[in-house]
Amino acid sequence: MQQEIALSASNIVKYFYQPESFQVLKDISFQVRKGEFLSLVGKSGSGKSTLLYVLSTMDTDYKGSLVVNGETLTGKTQNELAAFRNAHIGFVFQFHYLLPEFTALQNVMLPALKLARKSKAEIEADAYEHLSMLDLKEQAKKSTAKLSGGQQQRVAIARALINEPSIIMGDEPTGNLDSKNAQIVFDIFRQLAGERGQTIITVTHDEDFAKRSDRIIELSDGNLVAS
Amino acid sequence: MFASINYEIAFVYLTSKLKQTMVAVLGVTFGISMYVFMNSFMTGVNDIQTDLAFSALAHIRVYNDGPGNNTDLVSKVYPKGTLSNIRSARVIQYTEGIKHSGEILSFLRKQPELEAIAPEVNVNVFFRNGANKVNGTLSGVDVENENRVFKSATYVLQGDWNALKYRSDGVIIGSGLARTLSLNLEDNVNVLTSDGASKNYKVIGIFETNIVNVDKTKAYLSIGATRQLLSKNADYVTDIQVNIGDYNQAEIVARRIAPVIPYKTESWLAANQQLEAGSRLRDIIAVAVSLTILIVAGFGIYNIMNMTINEKIREIAILKAMGFAGKDITRIFLTQALVIGLIGGVVGMLFGYVVSLTVEHIPFKLAFMTHLPMAYRWSDYALAFCFGLITTFVAGYLPARKASKIDPVNIIRG
Repeated sequence: MQQEIALSASNIVKYFYQPESFQVLKDISFQVRKGEFLSLVGKSGSGKSTLLYVLSTMDTDYKGSLVVNGETLTGKTQNELAAFRNAHIGFVFQFHYLLPEFTALQNVMLPALKLARKSKAEIEADAYEHLSMLDLKEQAKKSTAKLSGGQQQRVAIARALINEPSIIMGDEPTGNLDSKNAQIVFDIFRQLAGERGQTIITVTHDEDFAKRSDRIIELSDGNLVAS
Repeated sequence: MFASINYEIAFVYLTSKLKQTMVAVLGVTFGISMYVFMNSFMTGVNDIQTDLAFSALAHIRVYNDGPGNNTDLVSKVYPKGTLSNIRSARVIQYTEGIKHSGEILSFLRKQPELEAIAPEVNVNVFFRNGANKVNGTLSGVDVENENRVFKSATYVLQGDWNALKYRSDGVIIGSGLARTLSLNLEDNVNVLTSDGASKNYKVIGIFETNIVNVDKTKAYLSIGATRQLLSKNADYVTDIQVNIGDYNQAEIVARRIAPVIPYKTESWLAANQQLEAGSRLRDIIAVAVSLTILIVAGFGIYNIMNMTINEKIREIAILKAMGFAGKDITRIFLTQALVIGLIGGVVGMLFGYVVSLTVEHIPFKLAFMTHLPMAYRWSDYALAFCFGLITTFVAGYLPARKASKIDPVNIIRG
């Protein structure tokens, strides 16, 4: 069955120059289909996180080319990439990185307000919807500093989803969570990939988490080992 | 309208750390209020000094600058190289004072800037009372116009300025002169001119300008009586004192009318450059001190903004990851700085006004002053506000630019 390609990386090569010149990624090429739930695994230092940040468009210091949703992103300016991320990519990190001065609701609304595709009232309704889906409706008006770790991570996921990005990237999204909350996050991802057709790429150490995803890409010393 | 998310974030950041914001605002407030106060004070001092100066100084003075250079008349008439043998050359006829003063006066009265004009006959005389003898100036004045130019009546301590108009035998003398000659009101004083004419006058008033040299040597007589004393005709005038609407224009007006008048036409500025130098120097000091304060306030803002940005570096990184561009980040932090600048500016202007009012009430009794001088000018306040905004803009822009350049990968990966 022919499926649409969500992300295509070709011949990605990246060097670290500090403390000494070192090749982190060695000619990596792969494609991710739309709606695929992909795990990037590998030992620490294997380059999996580095690869994720290249894919995320935040790291532009690489050779090769990156195409997301048919749009070539290699060579675009930082501002163009920021606008692209805003509309097409959602992020969930190991740490939630919520803005502590804002309520959970405001945090979720931020990317949509930046995108400014909808009115503020619509955005607020969307944000409520996403929070309810993640079982956080009661916490909406609370300051994010007052939420538990699991709740904070779910708020961060809601924030990643608000603009309905085609790709969601996670950098060890369950790394700081207990098994129960990790399970919740996994189920959310599963659901997003399955029901909404959103592509998910996560870096993880959690073997169990990786095994249950659609596909595993393993990196070792900057090379793709298995995909 | 949706770009307002940046302003919303800026607002939340400002209000979430109220204490820090207040400190930054206070810095600007202090800088701007000091700027307002220093400049108001210096302007007040300059105004007072100008007032003092103009009690003895007209804006423009027309006078006969003495005979020209007559040491080598031969070469003016005969070709170069002509041998001559003239010894002990003397000027045998020289016009003192201003001839045809009527024409010049009516010409000056036609100038649109003219406010007041006073013809004077000034002459060096000896004032004598018994054994006491003082060399001084007798000023023959057109009583009403003299008062219009110099506000002379306000300096009269005893007697009445206008009495001069009706009494051709009466003089008004300086307080210092009265003291040296031991003269009181209604006493007689003898005046001796360089031509040998001597006449007794009655002291009908005593004035004090607080300019010691003037008070010690000057006396006023009506202009008609002075001409009589000098045996001059009714057109005779030595000085014409002119006041115009704005004394800052004196130099321009003087330069314009000078070619038409066959006598020396001099503005107060040209005659008294030390006054101008003094007021300029005071202005420089005021600006230097207040700008220093503003710069210190600017550093305060810079520090606080830098701290805020270091504290929020992760949040900035995540904002960038979520799609906020560098210019959004700059705008967020620049908005904070400008809000601090605006609030500090408005409060600073108010506080500066209050400080100025307070200082103005400090007693300061010297010359004719009773309290410290202070001027209230919109331009001082507007300039302070502008400088405050510029300072906060620069102080906010540098850290904001730094924040906009944060690389999210470095921060998020740790």
